Amino acid sequence: MSHLTLKAVRKSYGSVEVIKGIDLAIKAKEFVVFVGPSGCGKSTLLRMIAGLEHISGGDLEIGGKRMNDVDPSKRGIAMVFQSYALYPHMTVRENMGFALRFAGVAKEQIAKQVAEAARILALEPLLDRVPKELSGGQRQRVAIGRAIVRNPQVFLFDEPLSNLDAELRVHMRIEIARLHKELQTTMIYVTHDQVEAMTLADTIVVLRDGLVEQVGKPLELYDNPSNQFVAGFIGSPRMNFMAAKVVEAGSGTVTVALTKQGNVRITLPLTAAPAIGSDVTLGVRPEHFGLAAAGDADLAVNVDVAEHLGATSYLYANTGTGEQLIIEREELRNELGKESLTVSIRAANSYLFDNSGQRLR
Amino acid sequence: MAQARLDRRDQITGWAFIAPALILLGLFMIYPIVWSLWMSFQVGKGMNLSFGGFANIMRLTKDPVFLRALGNTFTFFIVQVPIMIVLALLFAVALNDSTLRFRGLFRTAIFLPCVTSLIAYSTVFKSMFATDGIINEALMAVHLIGAPIGWFSDPFWAKVAIILAITWRWTGYNMIFYLAALQNIDRSIYEAARIDGVPAWARFRYLTIPMLKPVILFTTVISTIGTLQLFDEVYNFTAGNGGPSDSTITLSLYIYNLTFKFMPSFGYSATVSWVIVVVVGILSFLQFLVARDRRRSA
Amino acid sequence: MTSTTMAENTASAATKVGLATGAAPFRLIRRGLVYLLLSIAAFISVFPFYWMVVGATNPSAEIIKGKATLGGSLLTNAATFFAQVDAPRIFFNSAFIAVIATALTLAISSLAGYGFEMFRSRVRERIFGLLLLLLSIPFAAMMVPLFVMFSQAKLVNTYVAVILPTVASIFIIFYFRQATKAFPSELRDAAKIDGLKEWQIFLFVYLPVMRSTYAAATIIVFMANWNNYLWPLIVLQTAENKTITLILSALTSAYTPDYGMILFGTVLATLPTLIIFFLLQRRFVEGMLGAVK
Repeated sequence: MSHLTLKAVRKSYGSVEVIKGIDLAIKAKEFVVFVGPSGCGKSTLLRMIAGLEHISGGDLEIGGKRMNDVDPSKRGIAMVFQSYALYPHMTVRENMGFALRFAGVAKEQIAKQVAEAARILALEPLLDRVPKELSGGQRQRVAIGRAIVRNPQVFLFDEPLSNLDAELRVHMRIEIARLHKELQTTMIYVTHDQVEAMTLADTIVVLRDGLVEQVGKPLELYDNPSNQFVAGFIGSPRMNFMAAKVVEAGSGTVTVALTKQGNVRITLPLTAAPAIGSDVTLGVRPEHFGLAAAGDADLAVNVDVAEHLGATSYLYANTGTGEQLIIEREELRNELGKESLTVSIRAANSYLFDNSGQRLR
Repeated sequence: MAQARLDRRDQITGWAFIAPALILLGLFMIYPIVWSLWMSFQVGKGMNLSFGGFANIMRLTKDPVFLRALGNTFTFFIVQVPIMIVLALLFAVALNDSTLRFRGLFRTAIFLPCVTSLIAYSTVFKSMFATDGIINEALMAVHLIGAPIGWFSDPFWAKVAIILAITWRWTGYNMIFYLAALQNIDRSIYEAARIDGVPAWARFRYLTIPMLKPVILFTTVISTIGTLQLFDEVYNFTAGNGGPSDSTITLSLYIYNLTFKFMPSFGYSATVSWVIVVVVGILSFLQFLVARDRRRSA
Repeated sequence: MTSTTMAENTASAATKVGLATGAAPFRLIRRGLVYLLLSIAAFISVFPFYWMVVGATNPSAEIIKGKATLGGSLLTNAATFFAQVDAPRIFFNSAFIAVIATALTLAISSLAGYGFEMFRSRVRERIFGLLLLLLSIPFAAMMVPLFVMFSQAKLVNTYVAVILPTVASIFIIFYFRQATKAFPSELRDAAKIDGLKEWQIFLFVYLPVMRSTYAAATIIVFMANWNNYLWPLIVLQTAENKTITLILSALTSAYTPDYGMILFGTVLATLPTLIIFFLLQRRFVEGMLGAVK
């Protein structure tokens, strides 16, 4: 049974609709990540679940109860904010126990719960400091601790790592994953960083313009994106897109010509082929390029810049017709001096999208 | 982003937070203002008022004391405000140099007059402006004047004394605004200009002044309103009569006298007070126009 | 911290280089002129304070002859002042009015500033705009009706009459609204999730977080009330209700004012604000700048 359900949820500011009807069922103990570019409505959706934004239409249920008009503090949720939102005039201990104080919990009980949360997050030595005296990572842990103390059914995270530097971000990411394992509660996490989404999530919800683009497990989205937006958004460096035209349709296959790659032809398996002559887009992930003649079609490219990361290398290449390609080849690290190169692509690792960006299968 | 629409409960909370202030302002500000506008069309003495149409406005044009007060107020405004603004700007720019020694000391000293009440400082100045007093003595010692000036018996020098006093009290106040604004300017702008070979005077003229324009405008408007409301100092210097022979009387002082000193003439004093409202309105508007035009041509 | 110090060092080093390579004599002259200008300004600014203190130790006849050195009449002046002025009563009036008015002004204006900023709606924005326009209407335009109102309500010569009209200050409302813009909205969200009602957020989160804003506002409002003159002059007409400001002005208006005694009183009247200034200089300046930032 689902633990948190959104049914046709909408949000509008005046005449501007920012959430355009979202249906979602989140299972208990699931780690769900809302991801999407800025302005896609992911934070608004989270704030609607928290009760910080009014829900304009549809229903929100948590644990089977309709929560649309319930006060934020009575929804069984806790939230970790991007800026941490620690009360600057209170010690860590007071910050963590503040909600319980207003819920009328006895002092000894507050102390017990704060101590327990402090233990989980190794915050004991910091309990009597004020936020000003803490580092960014410590503040983040206190913010999480404040959420844990409330013993919520659902944790909400609003881009919690975006104020940290890169190294700390990786560290805290692992910390949050560990916490999810330990606490076994539902977590909803908002981020614009698809790496965070891929590494943390049980389920990723990709949002764009107030609508769900795709819901699925991280690798499902990676291997099997249902449209061009998700294909481009998930994966770093992003998938290469090449303009193409359908030139031939067989039974269960289609042949396209890459219009900006010297009309190179490639044949892909496809159940329902589009009309001959229609414009389509071919997607190939950077790591799916092969050495010349090792795949189903060869492309000749000019290398603009080569980035060597050690374990792998990225080649930023063009074909003289304006299409930029990113090619990841570990074995090409010695091709440093070369300006032109032939690489191959494989039908099995290529994706085809129609004019509206929908995946053709 | 679109402004968040508040739900009903938030709407009620919002009103609840501002209600006490709105009720008080309505009662003790808006209601009196509207009432005085209505009053300004009433004639009569004391509380025996009757509708007089434009009679009060006609009376204004023929009232020598009013015309004198209007003239004096303008004199104070036109002479004092520019002097003060220029001095304040000068001190602020001088003090903004981080290599200057005793910077904090200078700043505190020049700001110190703001701490005094208008009555306290005008009392002190009155004692210094005595005919045989310290100021005349000092001026004669450096041979600026040959004979003592009758600061409070000569119509011209009485105005000068008031202008000097006001300038003493408010220059530091304005300077603080400029100093704060100067410190908010990114220093690398000046470093870039120096590397580009822009001379010091041009940095002041083409960088500092334009960037300070909003603050200069703000302080000018504040000072304008302040000067047009001038009361405490003149009242205290001249024992309430704006002498000698009305040479220092201001509009506010005249309103006070019309209401509380002579046979109360509420309607007419309300008319005079609305003259100040109109003048403040026009001047503020003109200052905004000037500031906007300069920006456009710059 | 370290980086700013470094930046400053670099900047001053750059100036020194400029001094050495540029037109050095010209720069030295300019620098000298700057010091001269500032010294004169500082002297003129401070001298009246010196004069005030010295004057309190001299007899009136010496003061109007320009004696600017310490004299021996301090005790005489003090005795005259305390004989003519019921000082405890008068200072109590000033302090009572200033303290109560300040407390009420801060409470009411900060509530309004918070309300205007946190709960924005079209109607309230219009009202706020209207209030800003009212800011430029001089007190003279309302003092006559105000006086009539209070005399009809038989409240002339009461503290209530002095305090009430000053309590909702548009300037302070504006100041608090500006300051509230810097109050992190996520803090309010966090408090809501922690189960606080709006008034609890205001009391237990906003107020302690904004205490430096309150401190700065306290100073300017207290000063304004302590030094207020025109409205008390109108509405306080019996001797035992008057404030120190009114008394000083009355003493100065005498045909031959006793300056020694008056300057002694002036020192007493200026002392509270001077002390506040020197103790809280930074907050003081912050308060003055208040609304502009």
